[in-house]
Amino acid sequence: MSLSVVGKSLPRVDGIEKATGQARYVDDLALPSMLYGRILRSPLPHARIVRIDTKKAEKLLGVKGVITAADTLKVPFSFPSHLKDKYPLEFEKVRYIGDEIAAVAAADKDIAEEATHLIEVEFEELPAVFDPVDAMSLGAPEVHEGVKNNIARKIEWEYGSIQKGFDESDYIFENRFTTSRQTHCSLEPHGALASYDYTGKLTIWMTTQNPHTVRDDLANLLGLPPHKIRVIKPPMGGGFGSRLTMDPLDVICALLAMKCGKPVKIINSREEEFYASRGRHPMTIEIKTGVKKNGKILAREVTAIADNGAYNSHGPRVVGYAGKMLLSLYNIPHTRFTGLAIYTNNPYGGAMRGFGNPQVTFASESQLDMISERLGIDPVELRLKNFVKSGDVAPTGAEITSCGIQECLLRAVEVSGWKEKQHERVKQRGLGVACMIHGSGAKGFFGDSNVSDSFIKMNPDGSVIVYSGTSDLGQGSDTILLQIVAEELGIKFEQVRIVSADTETTPIDYGSFGTRVTFAAGNAVKMGAKVVREQLFEVASELLEAHVDDLVAREGAVHVKGSPERSVPIERIARVACYDKGKPLAGRGFYNGPDSPSPDVSTYFGNTSPAYCFAAQVAEVEVDSETGLVKILNLVAAHDLGKAINPMAAEGQIEGGLAQGIGYALMEDLVCSKGVAVNPNFSDYKVLKAPDIPPIKTVLVESNDPNGPFGAKGVAEPALVPTTPAIANAIYDAIGVRITDLPITPERILEALNQKK
Amino acid sequence: MKKRIRILVNGERQELEVECDKSLLDLLRDRLGLTGTKRGCDRGDCGACSVILDGKIVNSCLVLAVEADGKSVLTIEGLASKDGLHPLQRSFVEHGAIQCGFCTPGMIMTAKALLDENPGPSEEEIRAAIAGNICRCTGYVKIVEAIAAVARRNR
Repeated sequence: MSLSVVGKSLPRVDGIEKATGQARYVDDLALPSMLYGRILRSPLPHARIVRIDTKKAEKLLGVKGVITAADTLKVPFSFPSHLKDKYPLEFEKVRYIGDEIAAVAAADKDIAEEATHLIEVEFEELPAVFDPVDAMSLGAPEVHEGVKNNIARKIEWEYGSIQKGFDESDYIFENRFTTSRQTHCSLEPHGALASYDYTGKLTIWMTTQNPHTVRDDLANLLGLPPHKIRVIKPPMGGGFGSRLTMDPLDVICALLAMKCGKPVKIINSREEEFYASRGRHPMTIEIKTGVKKNGKILAREVTAIADNGAYNSHGPRVVGYAGKMLLSLYNIPHTRFTGLAIYTNNPYGGAMRGFGNPQVTFASESQLDMISERLGIDPVELRLKNFVKSGDVAPTGAEITSCGIQECLLRAVEVSGWKEKQHERVKQRGLGVACMIHGSGAKGFFGDSNVSDSFIKMNPDGSVIVYSGTSDLGQGSDTILLQIVAEELGIKFEQVRIVSADTETTPIDYGSFGTRVTFAAGNAVKMGAKVVREQLFEVASELLEAHVDDLVAREGAVHVKGSPERSVPIERIARVACYDKGKPLAGRGFYNGPDSPSPDVSTYFGNTSPAYCFAAQVAEVEVDSETGLVKILNLVAAHDLGKAINPMAAEGQIEGGLAQGIGYALMEDLVCSKGVAVNPNFSDYKVLKAPDIPPIKTVLVESNDPNGPFGAKGVAEPALVPTTPAIANAIYDAIGVRITDLPITPERILEALNQKK
Repeated sequence: MKKRIRILVNGERQELEVECDKSLLDLLRDRLGLTGTKRGCDRGDCGACSVILDGKIVNSCLVLAVEADGKSVLTIEGLASKDGLHPLQRSFVEHGAIQCGFCTPGMIMTAKALLDENPGPSEEEIRAAIAGNICRCTGYVKIVEAIAAVARRNR
């Protein structure tokens, strides 16, 4: 079947409003008599709160309300809820520098800021712990009372027999890797605008990746029924996982609006955005791999210790997911994983693009190159020998329905000139390759859902409105969903519009994360559109005097197959259906795959995703051995995304991901010293700027997943997962030193070169 | 302390009292409702608040409102006309140079200032010109392409 809308690089639907400054983000919104909120955060990493006195703050002219935990229900939360350990305002203890203690609403921002300084808090400082290994040791300070050894969660499994695997191996490799604290750096800071009316209804405009689950969380914490809360996500300036759990700011904003009886807006400062927004967990990864002489991997044992920081957020899930992905890419008969999420008094981690996978993939793909060198097998060959393939059940139980990893790797190698460049070596230049697997959506691993619902309405003029709960955070999901609907209905792209991410006007969706939207919401809207198409055909079959099975919809008209002259415009069908027959056209579609049983609760074995994405990337670098500076000369990224619904958008996802991956490899790290984030701004925390971007080539590999909408899977998270190890491997290839700690700074390279001498 | 200033904003004359400690960004967003100019860091690091002041690109968060007295400011809202979008705006849309869109207004204004001064810049010159504007979504590839496409037409 030839496609007319899907597969086209169409401009995004919200492009013009964003290009003209007309898109209204949270901080661009204002309501009459709106107040400005500000949060008082803990200056100490670990302390008991002895007393809070807000009297002086309340007396300041212009202050309209001050809240502390006494104004809350003292209900903890997290997402999913069984990991709950965080209160919107803390009352017994503070556990990191940035912990929320109190908040103020005032007539303007300056007064709100001044008032926070007038709140008196008496602390009893407690010993704090900042290193996860120290935190596990005997006698370490307890971050959360009763949590033994600060182990927030331990996840363990063994599949096959790890001992047997190592016994039968010819070589065993053991290495240790550490990773840094990358943060999202969404350009729009977190923010919310809440309004509470006399009917007891709360409306909140906020930066969120999942309005529906946040609504339920807010209901729980505010003591309101969910139907009395309307969450709206206006245009949003990025997310990358940072807006995946409700932020305490959201609850605080709502509480202030309820207390003051006036709308309240709170926007994080950039500094808060760094230390209080739950970035990528630093991990220490010990990885032991047993291989045969011929390169077949027999056994792999991994221990990953994550610095959870002060609270869970997604920490335990991140650790578990890391293990799942780490051990799903290659067919390894014997595997063992131990994942530990450890509480410390550092800023806490959360969901960030890749969800644990970038950390462990850095470790595993770096080690694979060490193995390949020792065995004298080309790194490409070694990987090809061990990959999972379509139809396989991976060692973790992942059911691989479509798999383009071989093609990704071969194409990346070809496009990068890998073979030619091996023969024409240039001093201090090197090539590195790395691969990855990542789920397209996930369900059941930690009791979570993958639900997505949608309504499709066709207007009497034949145009269509799609109602979807999904949140477009900039990745372009609104556009992708509309392309799917237009294709399914056979109408022009200009004829479809979307209403999304509003809990009152759109049906439920579990959220925009986990590379799930194209797959889950895409299937939902495709199903809904199919219902509408069937209704269209029913009416058209009467108008055309043809059987429904002989009809086809294309470019705004329904045609009789084989007789293109017999057709009727969809606009006419819609009008007839609505006004003549009194049966307006509308459809509904939903999705909650995969249908496979949830993974076993004790062994974690089983399938978590309806489909898996694959990628291979090749980096070419030049390293200056005098200064330690790494220059990336070329990057090739080949991604199996099933089917590119919009190739331009897919390329954009990959290019942006690569920039974050380079940053993770070479420079991004929120440095914390005794719990203090020392570089919480864009001067000291470096992200890539335009001149830093190397030439990039993207290759889209279309494996056509049998269950994906038009064969599509996701692409968002995978984009950065293999970038860091590809660069690390290229650096080794260039100068012969293996850096196992992120970020790979010039200092680390020079130190390694010195040790080598 | 307040001071009375006269300022031309997108070709419209404005005369108003401003607090001496408020930035041009505060003035644009909070007083004049021109929210197309974004606040990304409020310390001159990210470029989301870039506007053109008397023909030069500035971070409006680093310019005091009183410093703009007697000057002319062009913001993203002043770029499109009744005849349609500015070529840079159209090019950004068509080339997929926009994702979340938060950096877009500042990025487009910076590109405009560049093209006003140098209508046919090289790719390297484009990259250097937007080096003060952070984009976390696109990896800048399509942004550079969008600006280069307009520059090519200028040559």
